[in-house]
Amino acid sequence: MNTNLKISNVTKIYPGCVANDNVSLEFNSGKIYALLGENGAGKSTLVKILSGVIIPDEGKIYLNENNLKLNSPLDAKKNDIGMVFQHFNLFETLSVFENLIIDSDEQREVLREKIDSIMRKYNFSIDLDIPVLNLSAGQKQKVEIIRCLIRSPKVLIMDEPTSVLTEQETSELFLSLKKFSEEGILIIYITHKLKEVIELCDEVAVMRRGKLVSVSEIKNENIESLANKMVGQNLKTIKKKKEKNSSDKLINITNLNFISEDPFETNLSDINFSVNRGECLGIAGISGNGQSELFQVLSGEIISDKNSIEFNKNYIGDLNPQERREYLMAFSPEDRLEQAAIPQMAIFENVALNNYKSSNFFNNGLINENKIKEHSKKIISDFNVNTDNIELKSQFLSGGNLQKLIIGRELITSPDLLICFNPTWGLDVGAINYIHETLIKINEQNKSIILISTDTDELLKLSDKISVIHKGKLSKIMDADEVTSEKLGILMGGGN
Amino acid sequence: MIKIVKRDEPSRAIFFLTPILAIFLTLVAGGLIFYILGFKPFEALKFFFIVPIADKYGFSELLLKATPLCLIAIGLSFCFKSNNWNIGAEGQLTFGAIVSGGVALLFYEQEGFYILPIVILAGAIGGMLYASIPAILKTYFNTNEILVSLMLVYVSKLILDYLVVGPWSNPEGFNFPETRQFSDSARLPLLFEGLRIHAGIFLALAAVVISWFIFYKTYLGFQMKVSGFSLKTAKYAGYKGKKMIILVFLISGACAGLAGVGEITGPIGQLHREVSPDYGFTAIIVAFLGRLHPVGIIFASLVVAITYLGAETAQIFMQIPKYTGQVFQGMILFFLLASDYLLFFKFKFKGSKK
Repeated sequence: MNTNLKISNVTKIYPGCVANDNVSLEFNSGKIYALLGENGAGKSTLVKILSGVIIPDEGKIYLNENNLKLNSPLDAKKNDIGMVFQHFNLFETLSVFENLIIDSDEQREVLREKIDSIMRKYNFSIDLDIPVLNLSAGQKQKVEIIRCLIRSPKVLIMDEPTSVLTEQETSELFLSLKKFSEEGILIIYITHKLKEVIELCDEVAVMRRGKLVSVSEIKNENIESLANKMVGQNLKTIKKKKEKNSSDKLINITNLNFISEDPFETNLSDINFSVNRGECLGIAGISGNGQSELFQVLSGEIISDKNSIEFNKNYIGDLNPQERREYLMAFSPEDRLEQAAIPQMAIFENVALNNYKSSNFFNNGLINENKIKEHSKKIISDFNVNTDNIELKSQFLSGGNLQKLIIGRELITSPDLLICFNPTWGLDVGAINYIHETLIKINEQNKSIILISTDTDELLKLSDKISVIHKGKLSKIMDADEVTSEKLGILMGGGN
Repeated sequence: MIKIVKRDEPSRAIFFLTPILAIFLTLVAGGLIFYILGFKPFEALKFFFIVPIADKYGFSELLLKATPLCLIAIGLSFCFKSNNWNIGAEGQLTFGAIVSGGVALLFYEQEGFYILPIVILAGAIGGMLYASIPAILKTYFNTNEILVSLMLVYVSKLILDYLVVGPWSNPEGFNFPETRQFSDSARLPLLFEGLRIHAGIFLALAAVVISWFIFYKTYLGFQMKVSGFSLKTAKYAGYKGKKMIILVFLISGACAGLAGVGEITGPIGQLHREVSPDYGFTAIIVAFLGRLHPVGIIFASLVVAITYLGAETAQIFMQIPKYTGQVFQGMILFFLLASDYLLFFKFKFKGSKK
């Protein structure tokens, strides 16, 4: 049976921002639709409206001509709309089976049968009786998908599903989605990754600043045309000039180990690598394989053996981040709002978090506010942070502007080495471009970068050498020119 | 219809208005309680809040009670601002009183200008020593400072009990649980003839000024602020977390210890069983009612001090137990926490503009 989903004149206004501005769209089963847009374009709001999480201010939703009243996620489920969120909603300590039946009141045996048949049909192989915490991200996602399929949905919405998947898992997912589509499930795929849209979808709707800007068939589009629609301007493509690098070793890590007391952290075992001046070492991996621990060990948030880290001919393994900054290291953590910056504090106060001695932010234990403010103004203009008010609380900066501020702050000291962890995570294309350009510039000034990232494209674009982290172990270090994303994908999944 | 909406940002005005709203609601609820008990609400509230401070003596008593509250609350705000939950100021006060009392007894019947400073210093050190226990256990053994500091309160009270009944009790004291009277040189001078307000108030005022300076002008204050918002960020910035935890506990302990000094070397002039009517606990309410701001704490300590006085007046004139004072203190904290809801949420009336 054909499914027709219609969104008619939907508007949702938040204080200070129109998240959805009179959006109308129509979907028909048998096709896979992409909903494309930068962060903040309004696509998440739209799918949250479809899944009953948010109630629109105006507008209606029709499924097969029936006007739906979606006041809660339960209403969406009842109306056969299934949704897989970007962040998994699973109970880690419960078994897969328990997670699957938790919101259903059918009999266990019946459900077991139903789940088995779904798994057979789509070739999923997951042990139903082990706790969810033992599953990989790809498997967890399959659990979420099965949870939707149990209710035989007419519509399946996937919100940025590939952000935690390896290349291989992504292609498996795409196969499944195509199969669902052939069976008549209407699929709406939300993403900001252009390549995936081209690879998977039949039609694409592009949103920008809450407005629907275009609906078109994929065969009439290519990556550049979609990117320009998404950003609303022509983007220049960045390319790093690959030069012959120096062989002057800047940092050398030998036999670095970290054993965590926290069962939810990953142990690091026998990490060895070195980075030369002017070089960017990329460290790829699926999130949760020890990246966060590696970053903390490198930044000094976790202290390690003194001799395990040699930087500029000094052994610094036992120094804390502030002391390492004095040796000209700088750090940009993954979590912008909970670690790299404090949203409730003003921009200039956030700048003062980098207390490099010769910046004189603090003299004899006293705050030197003038100096901090002067420097903050310089960062704002040098790094294109879109505000002129350094007293503004940093929570009012967009992700991109906040990241620029953080990178700018870290570069105050003109460090020899910048260590970044997912520096463009969740940013829009414009901001990503800016950050990438900045990182390339750092390398051009013969300074080095360690780039820990889950974004393979970013790594291939910026790195001179690449290694992959898997379960706390680093693979051998490869020249970026010899690496393909397929090869990285295999290593990220633990293969050889 | 009324809808509750989340604010985009906690409102600055509401931040300072909620303490006043909390006090107002406490008065309303207090009036209601008096009414239920069969008193005329307005008259009862007058006995509670106005009669006690209507004359010179009453006002002096107000300052006398507000002094330790202010001093302790200032110390506590160092801890609370930096995410350390020191609940044991009462114990630090008691131990400070014990140490300074012990030193004062050493100088029994001696005179000299140097005695008082030594006694005061001893109190501060006593408080610091006692506060260092939860701090060190927290930093090096990962214990919970709330539990440790709270339990130590009872330990200190038992030590005091033992001392005033046993080894330190006054040989000529007919077995009353108290020590000898300190010599005049070991006592904080009274400020006015016939009133009990003593020089301890200057210690409190000095603490206010110094804490304001530290909070807003120094690197330590900045570090405390950052740690208060996010310990992860503090770690990333490279602040020496353990050092800071110990430091704020020491400051807090010193302030509580000084409050203890004021209690025993002021009008009373000896160690006895009950050096403090739970000032150390009540000061927690004062610190939050004052929004952890030095100036706010001055006002908050005055307001809360009235509940002590009011309870006494009410006991005398209305024959109701003085524990009513604690009921009022509890209500202030309760309404403060409840009205903090308004910091993050606001009411929206249907039909009004968005």
